[in-house]
Amino acid sequence: MTVLAEGYNVFDTGKQPSGTMKYLGAPKDVIALIQSGKLKEHILLVRGGTTTFLAPALSMGAIGVVTMSGAPESHLGILSREFQTPCVMTVHLVEGSDSRYVPGETPDSHFDEIVAALDGKKVKLDCSDHDKGRVLLAE
Amino acid sequence: MTLTDRSQAAYLKRYEPDDDGLRFQPLLYQGNYHGMEPIPDGILGDKIIRSRMKSKVLEKVSHAEVLNDQFTLDELNDLNNYLAWNIWDVLVMRATEGVSGMIPRQEYEILSFMNEFYRYPEFMRMVTDSVGAQGIIDIGASARREIGTKINCVHDWCLGAVAFGMGRCGLLAGEWIKPDEYVEESNIILKFMQRVLWGKRQDGLILNSQDRYRCQIHEDDFLADLRTQIVDFEPGSDEQHIFEQFNATAELLAFFDHYDCRLGLGDTGPYPLPDGRLLIVRDLFVNEEVFHWSDVCEELPHCYTLLVVVDPAVVGLEEIRVNDISTTFTLPKNYVPAITGGAVLVREKWDTPMAEVYPVKLHDLEPHMDRLREATFKMYKKTAAMSRHTLCLNGIYSYYIEMILPHLRRAGMYDEVCAKKDFWEIDQRVMNYYYEITKRNFVQVTVPQKIFSGAGYLPFSDEADLRASKYFWG
Repeated sequence: MTVLAEGYNVFDTGKQPSGTMKYLGAPKDVIALIQSGKLKEHILLVRGGTTTFLAPALSMGAIGVVTMSGAPESHLGILSREFQTPCVMTVHLVEGSDSRYVPGETPDSHFDEIVAALDGKKVKLDCSDHDKGRVLLAE
Repeated sequence: MTLTDRSQAAYLKRYEPDDDGLRFQPLLYQGNYHGMEPIPDGILGDKIIRSRMKSKVLEKVSHAEVLNDQFTLDELNDLNNYLAWNIWDVLVMRATEGVSGMIPRQEYEILSFMNEFYRYPEFMRMVTDSVGAQGIIDIGASARREIGTKINCVHDWCLGAVAFGMGRCGLLAGEWIKPDEYVEESNIILKFMQRVLWGKRQDGLILNSQDRYRCQIHEDDFLADLRTQIVDFEPGSDEQHIFEQFNATAELLAFFDHYDCRLGLGDTGPYPLPDGRLLIVRDLFVNEEVFHWSDVCEELPHCYTLLVVVDPAVVGLEEIRVNDISTTFTLPKNYVPAITGGAVLVREKWDTPMAEVYPVKLHDLEPHMDRLREATFKMYKKTAAMSRHTLCLNGIYSYYIEMILPHLRRAGMYDEVCAKKDFWEIDQRVMNYYYEITKRNFVQVTVPQKIFSGAGYLPFSDEADLRASKYFWG
């Protein structure tokens, strides 16, 4: 299975949630997704590793989360563990880009590139490894 | 799992004197120890940094030493250096989390840190003058027989680590103060912190990191009463799932009500149970009535307290830390499947007597979860509509007001500090910094680099005068 992106695995789990990757760029996107009733059809892609941005999505049953910054010790990491929602943090693309996230020094182009590569794709999360989480292209 | 399985669990090695613990992250800390080996996280980090101390202030200290009003210069510098490492130890990986997209947390954090450094000394002196040094120790000690109390690790740690450590660090980074200024104020802050923490632990130590990340503060008889509420369940059972989901749903709102910060969460423990399992006592503060935005939480109590029972044999527990910001981390990282017992207790208001705290059965939790989810969504829509300036101000309150609020309440002086000291006002210098901190990457790069590398916690020099003060003691 093709690995699209890798990052920190927040916790080891045999769960392999799959769905259409959906980038959420602003709170209005989160509200719209919840009100659409289609929250559980998507793996959520967000830029930050904080909790508040995804708060209602987490409490209403998000099935998987991918972030472009943060670590398992971030608030979002802690909460995804508590919800047992598979979560891969600070992902980078596996092919076609050497760009990596560095706190405070990462240009918007880094995030734009990841969004362009992942948003709308049918994906599956592999969080079985102790340290590394993977975003797989779903067959 | 048998008691034998549990008694052989790997995590128990962490409590042997020669054990150095495990590493929870790969980074190293340099701080003020130029030219010396960098320091890792965890038990080994604590050992190394304490071996470099010039004083005994971070060994077990006596009641008489805590009552003494004045630290020496070496003690102040040792506290500065230790807190700087401790801040790094608990927060360095969180520092990678980037922008919130919702709340400008980096901005409000640094502003509140600096405001605390400027303003807390007058409140702390006022309270100490009123209740005495022993009274401050007794404030800390009150946590030994209560649940649902914000006299807890994270709030007490913040009194020193945030108000002094990060507040002074931010002001030094901005060159708004010099290293040898505010020495008297620093002493006041750190004494207040030491007294509260010492009173809470009662073992001579002040921080969990000094005790291999244990915060076993509750009195035995109090804990025994709590334990009667615990219901056991099997891994993978409906009961476990309900408990797990309730914990997460309440914890989420607790973070949110405190503006995405750890002040909404308070763990103590791990307390060993007779059958070899471990108990974490977890307070989740889902409705802090002092904040106007908590109006969306009005259907909820002040605090849910969860008794979380972890079976170390289920996950092969190698290390468990209740760190100084009241958060439990383990290796392996995922301890949730090992939760094999629990209970939920409710404290309706911050001052509800312990005798009136009541339990909620696991199968009665669903309506509580509905209210938690509803409040979370309302809070989200309310927050999304706020301006950046409003969010920043609320964020400042969520730190600056919140971190000392429990101690003022316990001293019975919250109203007096509001009336006489304009508690809810922000220092004018800090309001001016609001317009400065986003320039030249100060808040995004400079401050995090200074705080998390340890490079910003400049020591007091040998020439520093313990009496040096920039305060107008009006």
